[in-house]
Amino acid sequence: MSEERRIRVLYTVGAAAMSAFCLLPVAYMVLVAASSRPDVLSAGAEVRLTAGHFLEVLGTGSLHFPEYVVNSIVVSGLSAILAVALGAPAAYAVTRLELPGRMSFLFLVLAVSMFPPVSLVSYLFRMMSALGWINTYAALVLPYTAWVLPLSLWILASHFSRIPRDLDRAALLDGCGRLAALRKVMVPVAAPGILSTAILAFIFAFNEFLFALILTTGRNARTIPVGIALFEGLHGEIPWGMIMAAATLAVVPVILLVLAFQRGIVTGLTRGAVKE
Amino acid sequence: MRKDHDLRELLKGYAFLAPVCALLLAFVFLPVAGTLLDSLHRDVTFLPRRFIGLGNYRSLGSDPGFWQSLRFTGLFTLVSVPLELALGLAFALLLEHPTSARGFLRAGVLLPWAIPAAVSGRVFELIYNVQYGLANALATGIGLSEGPVHWLGTSAGAFLALVAADAWKTTPFVAILLLAGLSAIPEDLYRQAEVDRAGPLQRFFRVTLPLLRPVLVVALLFRTIDSLRVFDLVFVLTGGGPGGSTTSLSLYGYRFFVGGDFGYGSAVSVVLFLLAFILSLLYLRASRFGREIA
Repeated sequence: MSEERRIRVLYTVGAAAMSAFCLLPVAYMVLVAASSRPDVLSAGAEVRLTAGHFLEVLGTGSLHFPEYVVNSIVVSGLSAILAVALGAPAAYAVTRLELPGRMSFLFLVLAVSMFPPVSLVSYLFRMMSALGWINTYAALVLPYTAWVLPLSLWILASHFSRIPRDLDRAALLDGCGRLAALRKVMVPVAAPGILSTAILAFIFAFNEFLFALILTTGRNARTIPVGIALFEGLHGEIPWGMIMAAATLAVVPVILLVLAFQRGIVTGLTRGAVKE
Repeated sequence: MRKDHDLRELLKGYAFLAPVCALLLAFVFLPVAGTLLDSLHRDVTFLPRRFIGLGNYRSLGSDPGFWQSLRFTGLFTLVSVPLELALGLAFALLLEHPTSARGFLRAGVLLPWAIPAAVSGRVFELIYNVQYGLANALATGIGLSEGPVHWLGTSAGAFLALVAADAWKTTPFVAILLLAGLSAIPEDLYRQAEVDRAGPLQRFFRVTLPLLRPVLVVALLFRTIDSLRVFDLVFVLTGGGPGGSTTSLSLYGYRFFVGGDFGYGSAVSVVLFLLAFILSLLYLRASRFGREIA
């Protein structure tokens, strides 16, 4: 075998192993969700495919499952929109205005993303209790926005810094204010970057667990990760089929986002972490 | 006149930053300061709050549960982060290779990262099921073990189960970071190495690895910080068991909050916070903080 061919085989085998590693648990989740019994791998011929678990999860009102999905989407969506809307002006100021202290500002912002969530929750719990906001959207949206802002700000700043300065300088010379320059020049030019930033922020908020665990108590605001984590079933034995069906439905939104915005997510993740 | 104008411009500039500052102050910095303050108090539900200085920290010193969770968190980080870096590097090399399936491979690799850890934790709980889980089916299928393994029933099994589940979830993130580092390596260097008749392995060790070092360091610190604060996966997959052997610092602190002991839980959180903070200072240096933007 020639060396070139050997390398090609090596890469193919490697790519297959990598895909198996990443996709096998997902495939297993869907398989158990769609099978009549959870022991699909050993039960042999007695297993049949069924949509029963999905229907049961969606149809059993006392599980509140559809509500959790809606809560997750609303909370993550609002947080992502807020993070981008507040992050964009800040990113503009950091990249375009010669503000004294802006490096300390960036430093502080970045430090936030390193804080362990557990060092915030007890205070947040007491704060939200005092405000009477426990188990409301506000109790999650505000901390989530603060939580995803650092990353959003960094990625936005990285996109903005790649826009030629002449573009917004021209707008300023035309008599636009700073805010108008941001709105009419920076935002349209960086639109794809802004969209992928919002999507990343959405995914981060969608995945959050600890805040939601402590700050929600029921169907009015509880999010999907918490709903699934605490889902023990109604009659004793763990209903694996239902849990996997719920998990499958829960990951549909993020899977769709990954498939649609793969390229933007990769760029955003990279710029958010490597800062160059 | 000119001075006034400058000042107005400056204030306008800071107004762009104000909403971010307000939000971070209210929902991050105040909570952290509150936790720090709480940690200096005896603060238990239904009892009067009392300042006790470093009393909680002194108790931590003689609390075997705290040391156990510190040990687990450290060991978990020491094992899982290098594993994820090695796997992530392999993934990055595979992802960089030009093939027609590149888009599919990248989307496939992103999936584990995009799925909430609390959700994938449940999937892994089933994977490790003693009677019919995927892990035992695979292990007996390829002859690794003769009987079913009680993955979550023993300390060592639960530890390995967590490491594997964490590697599944976070290797993609490492791979994406390293992929960016790989694509930044100039093609010329590889060509030069080829002219020098360096084989693929030599090219990897002489060109790829040295040039990838800065990104590797960033990924290492980023993952270390993240791994120290692990919560979701442990909460869902092992609940900290068996016998508290997989209780992470986050989970240990959380338990005290839920039990109403805010002072002691805060002390645990502050220890974790300080660990993460020291590492983030290193990280900021390694990532050549703000080089591009400033």
